[in-house]
Amino acid sequence: MTPSPRRKSSSDALLPGWFAVLACTVSLAFAALTPDAAAQSGPAPPPSSATPPPAAPPPAAPPPAARAYTTGLAPMPGDIEVPLALMPPGTAVSPVPSDEIFPPQTIPLRFNHKKHVQELKLSCRSCHAGAYTSRTTKDQLLPPGSQCDSCHDVDHSDIASVKAGTDENGQCAFCHLGENPGAGGRVAAVVLPDANLRFPHDKHLARNIQCGQCHGQVGQLELATRDQLPRMAGCFGCHNMSGAAQGEARGECTVCHLTHPDGRLVQAFPTGDLLPPRWLHDAGHTPDWLERHKTVAGANSALCASCHSAQYCADCHDGRIRPRKVHPNDWLSMHAQAARQDNPRCVSCHQQQTFCADCHRRTGVARDVASGNRPTGSRFHPPPAEWTLAPRSARHHAWEAERNLNACVSCHTERDCATCHATKGLSGGQGVNPHPLGFEHKCRAAFSKNSRPCLVCHQSNDSFLRTCR
Amino acid sequence: MAAPAQAVEMELHSTTAAQAYEVASPWGGALLDRRRLLQTLSLGLYHLQGERAADGADYSLAMMLRLDADFGVNAHLVGGDAGAETDYARSSGSRFIPGYQVAPLDLMYGYIEGRNLAGGWLGFRLGRQYITDALGWWSFDGALVRLTTPYFVQAEVYGGLEQRGGLPLSTSRYEQQGVWRGSHAQFGTGQGRPSAADYPSYQFTAPAPAFGAALETSGVSFLHGRLTYRRVYNTATSFTQQFPDASGNYPTIDGARISQERIGYEAGVTLPSRGGINGGFSYDLYNQLVGMAQGNVEAYLGEHVTVGANVDYFVPTFDADSIWNWFTHSPVTTAVGRVAVEVTSTVHVAASGGVRLWATDGDPDAFRMGQCAELGLSVADCDGAFGNPDVLAGYTQDEANRGTSLTPDALANVSARYRLRSAEVELRGMMQAGERGRRVGADVSGEKRLDGGRYALGTRLSLHDWEDPLRPERGATSFGYVLGAGYRPIQVADMRLEWEHDMNRLVGHRFRVLGVLTLRVTP
Repeated sequence: MTPSPRRKSSSDALLPGWFAVLACTVSLAFAALTPDAAAQSGPAPPPSSATPPPAAPPPAAPPPAARAYTTGLAPMPGDIEVPLALMPPGTAVSPVPSDEIFPPQTIPLRFNHKKHVQELKLSCRSCHAGAYTSRTTKDQLLPPGSQCDSCHDVDHSDIASVKAGTDENGQCAFCHLGENPGAGGRVAAVVLPDANLRFPHDKHLARNIQCGQCHGQVGQLELATRDQLPRMAGCFGCHNMSGAAQGEARGECTVCHLTHPDGRLVQAFPTGDLLPPRWLHDAGHTPDWLERHKTVAGANSALCASCHSAQYCADCHDGRIRPRKVHPNDWLSMHAQAARQDNPRCVSCHQQQTFCADCHRRTGVARDVASGNRPTGSRFHPPPAEWTLAPRSARHHAWEAERNLNACVSCHTERDCATCHATKGLSGGQGVNPHPLGFEHKCRAAFSKNSRPCLVCHQSNDSFLRTCR
Repeated sequence: MAAPAQAVEMELHSTTAAQAYEVASPWGGALLDRRRLLQTLSLGLYHLQGERAADGADYSLAMMLRLDADFGVNAHLVGGDAGAETDYARSSGSRFIPGYQVAPLDLMYGYIEGRNLAGGWLGFRLGRQYITDALGWWSFDGALVRLTTPYFVQAEVYGGLEQRGGLPLSTSRYEQQGVWRGSHAQFGTGQGRPSAADYPSYQFTAPAPAFGAALETSGVSFLHGRLTYRRVYNTATSFTQQFPDASGNYPTIDGARISQERIGYEAGVTLPSRGGINGGFSYDLYNQLVGMAQGNVEAYLGEHVTVGANVDYFVPTFDADSIWNWFTHSPVTTAVGRVAVEVTSTVHVAASGGVRLWATDGDPDAFRMGQCAELGLSVADCDGAFGNPDVLAGYTQDEANRGTSLTPDALANVSARYRLRSAEVELRGMMQAGERGRRVGADVSGEKRLDGGRYALGTRLSLHDWEDPLRPERGATSFGYVLGAGYRPIQVADMRLEWEHDMNRLVGHRFRVLGVLTLRVTP
């Protein structure tokens, strides 16, 4: 049996619907499911200056197995959760430090702060003296290995040739973690990326802001982890001050955050985009931020301007390319219903008598001009008996105007309305009073500020105007 | 600690966007070609003073020009109608659109700014600039001075001219609603030129003096508020009467008069571990009413869940030159509840639902029956049966017949986002339904960036359905998709190409092509 020949229609040939759906679905799946390339291929952060390079020769004594040690491997014995009282201020609000500000670190070291501080009576300065003069986050504040040599039986003076002693506390594996540390003269590298922040330790310490006020009670913990790094909510403990107490601890974002030349914050980092937390002026950029942002922008546009340029706002609010998040699908066909429902609010972005009405004039929807664009006898609204004439039907235009006058203004000009609502006679109308109840109590003040709207429908000697003069 | 000292820095940014699509007339006739070219050019010069002391004064310049050309204007007109949208002499002016610009060029912003002057107390902006607050998003040409104190408060005063359509390098975007205003440059008395009296609703444009002041909190993370006041004047000659008087002339009004005078306040308080509350209002001193009020409360339920409620109250207000300020119209009130959940660090979901209330002075059905009874007509024979509205004026103005009547719409939104560093998928869904029609739909979109962002692939699937009881023939179910691709050949350039295809019974198939080239130069 010979199959009957079938001709493809031109629309089929253009782009079959099934192909489009398939292409979109595959693309969405591709976006959602494929591995994160940036995460995989991003260059590894350079090792910090504190990273011990390969040590040689290998230690004389065989290192004890690292797993034999049970302390200094976690903040708390048994790796139980650190009490909030020992954590940096602001931890209750932000449980972990920001990935964007403090990129993930690798510190393959075993260290018991509690032992050093409480038993050995060392101060923070004993090991972190650099912090007291540090002016930038590029400074390396972990102590060099040689700092340990005064107590531990090891010689880090030549970092290329570290010499372990004979005591247990001088063996590589006493502090360095990893598989067989010290074997082959190597230990696992410390990876400590710079914080993406402006932070002068020296200024804070000079104002008697002690380590614990930002880092929590590290001296009561065994291992200090990245979790002991500051939280922004904690910074505001001081950066909310006023008057003389404020000093340089101002609350502006740019005091601490990195900025572009135009003063906006740097937002894009290899570890993610910098976004405001929900507790900062309710500005959390949730998926429904588009619907919510007006409440924040209206009160605090300076907060928005910390990250966004005026052009960013103008792309939507004075835009020339339709933003699909706001106006999806076939918006040209759908927008009339959206305007009737005032969702989204048209006047947030559009001047109705020009932006909206110009197009309505061109397509013949508006009736004030361009009569050539509208087929004779065509009518946009319901028949006059329902829409225009008296008595008012339930579908009369008066109800629609009362409910959503902006929808009317997007097509009609004053002349359209004055045709009926202006007073009879010289004003050219039918005298249908459009004013709300109580109008006479407001018109005097309004007339004194601008009499023009009154004179559109009333003659200057109109008796109705006397009460408003 | 302030930024380290640095020399003058420059930033140049340009966007070239071309898009092509068609606009169908609801009559099924005119099909407008839209072949649009958008070109923007922005320049930033920072640290104009050269080397900058850490806490010293800092000066900068920023400007942005925009050309928005539509090569499709007049394209649908042929023969004797050719060129008639922009040339009054064609087709006896029957297709002429007053004030319509084929390729408007505007200066979006352009100002010199000084920051951190007088030890951080003073700042200024001079030129065309934006102001955003409870009174909306607004633009003016002039000067703004800001006084910032270390006592949680700053003050600003500004004055100049409101940006108005029809003036050089300007758009009408920032004018108050309700007045059709623009350039009359093509108007005159010569043959083939329209007379201003041909379009009495089309008002002359002229510089509009404006000034304002604001008090705002500063430097506090848990509290913010801004109290703002603005006044703008109309100065242009304006037609008043929309029909000629006995002598065939159109009366006009001259002189300075109020365009808008409003006061607004927005404030918010946040307790980092509990939640926040914010709200605000604007009061229109000309209309003597609250034009906008909104309130929002949020509670943080643990680390990952936020619940809240929002109320929004809005009354349309217009330029004081507009008659519509004094037409009966009612507030639109919206109340929604909301929940946002951070499911994981990469998956976020938000949903809201509520009601929008439309108000009228009187119940439409009861009002209709009352008027019919007043006329002694049965309801079946009543609609539009009586030509003289004077007879019903008494009934219409009777307060007893004009009690507030509310009509509700149900509202719902859902949105979700799955975001990785090099990919994201978003869902946005909405529904609004009530007596005045229905709209429901959802979009799912995704983007994948490859090779560190050198390449990008994007897509969008969209399904929407809408219905309007006043125009049942304009309801439809529409499916659309978008396919896009981006390429970054060099670090300073981005190219993007998108293909959009929507299909529904109203337009059959609608296609749109969009190409964008973005350049960023920072020497």
